Amino acid sequence: MGLLLRKDLTVLRRSPLLLGALCAYPIVIALLVGLVAGYASSKPRVAFVDEDGLPAVIEVAGHSFHIQTVIDQVAKEVTLVRLGPAEASRELASGKVVATITVPPGFVGELLTTVRSPSLILRTGSGGLAPRVTQQMQSLVYRLNNKLQQGYITANLVFVRLLLHGGSGNFLGRRFDVLGLDGTEKMLQGLPPSKRVAAIERFVRVARVGLAQTGAALQATAHPIALRQPKRKGRTWVLSAQVQSYGIALTVTFLALLLAAGAAAAEKEEGTIGRLRRGLVSHGQLVWSKVALAAVVGLGLGAAIAIVFGIVVEAGGVSGGEPWARLPLLFVGVALAAAAVGAAGTLLGALAREPRTASLLAVLVVLPVVFLGLVPRGAVAPAWWVSQLLPFSHAVRWFGAALYDTDPWRALGIQSLWLAGLGGVFWLLARRGMRTLSA
Amino acid sequence: MTRPLVRALGIARRYGDVEALAPTDVELSGGETVALVGPNGAGKSTLLALLAGALDPSEGTVEVHARVGWVPQRPAHYARLSALENLELFARLEGVPDPGAAAQLLLERFALPTEPRPSGELSVGNRQRLNVALALLGEPRVLLLDEPTASLDPGQRRRVWEVVSALRGEGGAVCYATQNLEEVEHADRVLVLLGGRVVQATAEEVFG
Repeated sequence: MGLLLRKDLTVLRRSPLLLGALCAYPIVIALLVGLVAGYASSKPRVAFVDEDGLPAVIEVAGHSFHIQTVIDQVAKEVTLVRLGPAEASRELASGKVVATITVPPGFVGELLTTVRSPSLILRTGSGGLAPRVTQQMQSLVYRLNNKLQQGYITANLVFVRLLLHGGSGNFLGRRFDVLGLDGTEKMLQGLPPSKRVAAIERFVRVARVGLAQTGAALQATAHPIALRQPKRKGRTWVLSAQVQSYGIALTVTFLALLLAAGAAAAEKEEGTIGRLRRGLVSHGQLVWSKVALAAVVGLGLGAAIAIVFGIVVEAGGVSGGEPWARLPLLFVGVALAAAAVGAAGTLLGALAREPRTASLLAVLVVLPVVFLGLVPRGAVAPAWWVSQLLPFSHAVRWFGAALYDTDPWRALGIQSLWLAGLGGVFWLLARRGMRTLSA
Repeated sequence: MTRPLVRALGIARRYGDVEALAPTDVELSGGETVALVGPNGAGKSTLLALLAGALDPSEGTVEVHARVGWVPQRPAHYARLSALENLELFARLEGVPDPGAAAQLLLERFALPTEPRPSGELSVGNRQRLNVALALLGEPRVLLLDEPTASLDPGQRRRVWEVVSALRGEGGAVCYATQNLEEVEHADRVLVLLGGRVVQATAEEVFG
């Protein structure tokens, strides 16, 4: 088997076009994956539609808010672009913006009352970023509320101070004078002592103590629980983990299938299978040699993609970077997946009997295999079940778990069993196919 | 009576409904050369491949009591490897003690190109010489040759017949397929195949 593997690798090395493609492929894939990961970490474009004509500055309860400054401060995760309503709708439909956030008419008026909560309207597209943008908009509103809360508390405290000390106030545009607890106490001191006066004086004292605590109480009720997130580098997990796993799985599946199918069919075309089967090499060993070829080349390409991807994302400053310490674990999975796919490729080569047909067949098979692997479980159940019988989807899960799961061992164990089982079945079928091929 | 080096009993080969070779008995004994003649599609290549173990018979058995070298009709080697690399690879697979030396010896014996040029780029004659050289790895006592001199120049044809003659002289057995009636003269015995069956006829009668 070792001799045949060495022979196949030598043959591969002497096919300049194929070798060039094999060298360029991982670099291109890694760059694309890196770009997608970079995109995943970049700010999505969100349209900001102002239907209320927001002033440059809003004063809420004596606090001035410079609108653009507030937006800049809160919009850490998205790029807000000011657009008109119609243009925003068009850009949302065409995907130029991933969401629109609209300030409806009357927003500022409601805000200034400090007694009603005005609403912002969020519309998202149907792309894969919609859930992420929704979360970011919720975060934006949360931060806005945090900023406004201080103004609201100050406004409420103005009324509390009026109750305490008395004076002139303004509510919903109407001015009024308040005696206050201080004034009440003074008036009480001028009255003849009586049980009723004493009771009112006690109430005034208790009320004064109670209202003195109102500021702290308002702060506490405004922030019953505050969530603080320490700043650290963190991968935008879902998208970049998936794209890297899919990138490697796609490459390994495509090339392992193509190489094994081509190498198996070439034995027939070159007539060497007849020589080999004369007691020199068994059909099983011949299949193993193609499986080993797929595993070795798949491992080389998978490793190259992971390393180039790591360099690209590190150089591009993508948050999170590459989990370098996990790469050895990834390589084990790449070799296992490539071997399983290689067995399937050998079967294809044996069935095709001719390298060109085998290559075409492999390409035609890869596309639906990859497509089926992308189908979520709940979407089309039969497609999901078919994808379970192919190595691609298990390879994706293996790579994702190896790279990013905190405790990957259970997932790795299950997916390893799947890959080994499927590889074994394909190996048996390929051996049978080789027997037919040599006949 | 000495035991034949190769004995095939009732071997037949079918591809679906097509009978490429009807049940046939063949024996190859040491010191004899057998010519297989017959028109295209008569079953000569199938019979040789069955005797060589390159094909499984649909029925019947093949007993082999010596190392067998096989020259298929179409050169069978790795086109991206050089002649020397092909010889070395198959020498290792055959378990030849010194693969490098054996490969070098055959390279010189058949005047094959020594440069590391892919064998797929060699001339048709050189590829056929490599095809014959590969069959001689491991010093077989039985040689099965399927139209071995096709595409060879007269000098190289002579070299092939020298190899055949030497092996026969050393007590080996040779069976070769040919459509060239002049080559029948190298044989001690002639088997005529027609429509997948051995027939009682002369080669001249078969080819008209």
